[in-house]
Amino acid sequence: MAFLEIDGLRKRFGQVEILKGIDVELEKGGFLVLVGPSGCGKSTLLNTIAGLETITSGEIRVDGRTINDLHPSKRDIAMVFQSYALYPNMTVAGNISFGMEMRGVPAAERQKAIDKVAKVLQIGHLLQRKPSQLSGGQRQRVAMGRALVRDPKLFLFDEPLSNLDAKLRVDMRIEIKRLHATTGTTIVYVTHDQIEAMTLATKIAVMRDGEVQQFGTPAEIYNNPTNLFVADFMGSPAMNLIPATIGTSGNALSVVLQREAREPINLPMANAPAGLSAFQGKPIIFGVRPEALTDPEGAERNASHIATADCHIEVVEPAGSDTFAVTNLGGRGVVARLRADANIQPGTSTPLAFNLTKAVFFDPATETRIR
Amino acid sequence: MSAVTTPARNASGGMNVKTLNRIVIYGLLALFALFYLMPLFVMLVTSFKTMDEIQNGNMLALPKAPTFDPWLKAWGETCVGLTCAGIKGYFWNSIKMVVPAVLISTMLGALNGYVLTKWRFRGATLVFGLMLFACFIPFQSVLLPMATILGSLGRFGVTLQNATGTSFGLGNPTVNLVFVHVVYGIGFTTLFFRNYYEAFPTELVKAAQVDGASFFQIFRRIMLPNSMPIFVVTVIYQFTNIWNDFLFASAYAGTGDSMPMTVALNNVVNTSTGVVEYNVNMAAAMIAALPTLLVYVLAGRYFVRGLMAGAVKG
Repeated sequence: MAFLEIDGLRKRFGQVEILKGIDVELEKGGFLVLVGPSGCGKSTLLNTIAGLETITSGEIRVDGRTINDLHPSKRDIAMVFQSYALYPNMTVAGNISFGMEMRGVPAAERQKAIDKVAKVLQIGHLLQRKPSQLSGGQRQRVAMGRALVRDPKLFLFDEPLSNLDAKLRVDMRIEIKRLHATTGTTIVYVTHDQIEAMTLATKIAVMRDGEVQQFGTPAEIYNNPTNLFVADFMGSPAMNLIPATIGTSGNALSVVLQREAREPINLPMANAPAGLSAFQGKPIIFGVRPEALTDPEGAERNASHIATADCHIEVVEPAGSDTFAVTNLGGRGVVARLRADANIQPGTSTPLAFNLTKAVFFDPATETRIR
Repeated sequence: MSAVTTPARNASGGMNVKTLNRIVIYGLLALFALFYLMPLFVMLVTSFKTMDEIQNGNMLALPKAPTFDPWLKAWGETCVGLTCAGIKGYFWNSIKMVVPAVLISTMLGALNGYVLTKWRFRGATLVFGLMLFACFIPFQSVLLPMATILGSLGRFGVTLQNATGTSFGLGNPTVNLVFVHVVYGIGFTTLFFRNYYEAFPTELVKAAQVDGASFFQIFRRIMLPNSMPIFVVTVIYQFTNIWNDFLFASAYAGTGDSMPMTVALNNVVNTSTGVVEYNVNMAAAMIAALPTLLVYVLAGRYFVRGLMAGAVKG
């Protein structure tokens, strides 16, 4: 039995269904990230776990106990809010200990807990300040301190890094990951940033329109997306999703990619997914991540199946660590990721290696994966 | 050439027009301010003059021999109707009425605003709309129905008095006025606090809920300590309105020992014992105006800030 279990959770505001049957579970000490575009219901889902929103039907269990109708303070959870929600009239110490004060913890014990948390987060020198006298990163720390001090069963983070600047965001991300590793707490974390999701999570739930599109480990989500939405949403730069048709090459199936003013590329496949044979002669969406489309010298050596084809390079973007090249296939701009020192010129033709073991295929009508 | 010189000429011409504009604007403002302050000046000057000087001198002239006697007389000796013990008793009457009325109506407004924004219920908007509507009800239309209600409350008070030995203040004119002003003020105080709390971050309330604070604990520990600007605005507004009210005061406490300052002031001026003591009347009027003046001076800088905070988010 998992530590956090959400079964068939539904939430309705009047006639509008915000959450349409969510099934998610998380082991103890796990890090679940709810990710999706804005309005997908991820924050609502978090609020229902916190008890700040009621649920229409379904069940939420923590450590085997159903918490559906419990008051937020009785659920043994702590929450870090997007705006940090620090009480402006109280000092940092007052903010951290407010929850304990409400539960009637004696002052001496409160002080001990404050000191302990202040040491972990290195905010000891800030304890007597008001939130308005703190920087963004310090406020973030205090907000986490307020959650940590309760030592709850479950931590809830609602887009905690979205108000920080880019550099601080990366620092705090690492800090949260370290905190999770050292304290071993169970965390549910909401974000719209797929990099945060990939780097922090042990489990990811990709959400859209109140439904979980895919639930799995970061590697599963990244390498085996179940549908077009997940494939498109996760990964940066995004996966190339190229309209193509299925043809034959000898007695194997092949992917046919249209090109401007040239004959189509025909990529033969050694071990195509079984479902693909039904699409012979029909349109499909061919998905290949930029790192699986590269210069032949930079291609993965132990990939079992690589096909090479000449492509016309339209744009070259040197990004320092890599060079991205944009070509046009199937009427779309397609990004290839090359070595930083790849010698490549825009306006020329260059052979690119397609790592077909990493390629995925989607049915354009249903947007689901062809396996 | 002309293309080069023209802007320079325009600039200098512009400066002159600008200066002229400033002179006209500030001149007019000074004139209006003078006109507006004139009555206050006359009152203040007259209150420090002797009767001789008033009868023989210029109204605008400064007092030749300033004296505090009119103030002392107004406070302790002047006649209000038939009793000649000054206005001090009535001043305290007003204080006794205004302080509870302001505090109760402000607290109820804060509570209403808190519920209407942070504990939304079905029909909250309608309730708020009706409360807003209460702001537009003219005083006069309330007079008679309220008199009937206060009459009933008074009779109920007598019944209570007979049954339990205490009327719980029902039928007491001061209590009646507090009641009337609280009822009439709730619309305004609710409006102020609702608009302020509308922009108040809801996440703070949620955080406090997770921290285990109850409905009233959140109100007392989170909402109120962060409501200083709007609290001051509401207190100033209510204090000024209730202190200056004459209509309700004269209708429900127009006679006897419990009449408030405004009614007493009117009676001071209307009580004629031969010569009209302008200096004493002016001093009494100044005393009547002092508390509102004081409230503005002490809390005025919050007033504008609070009004802005309610109007503009952030």
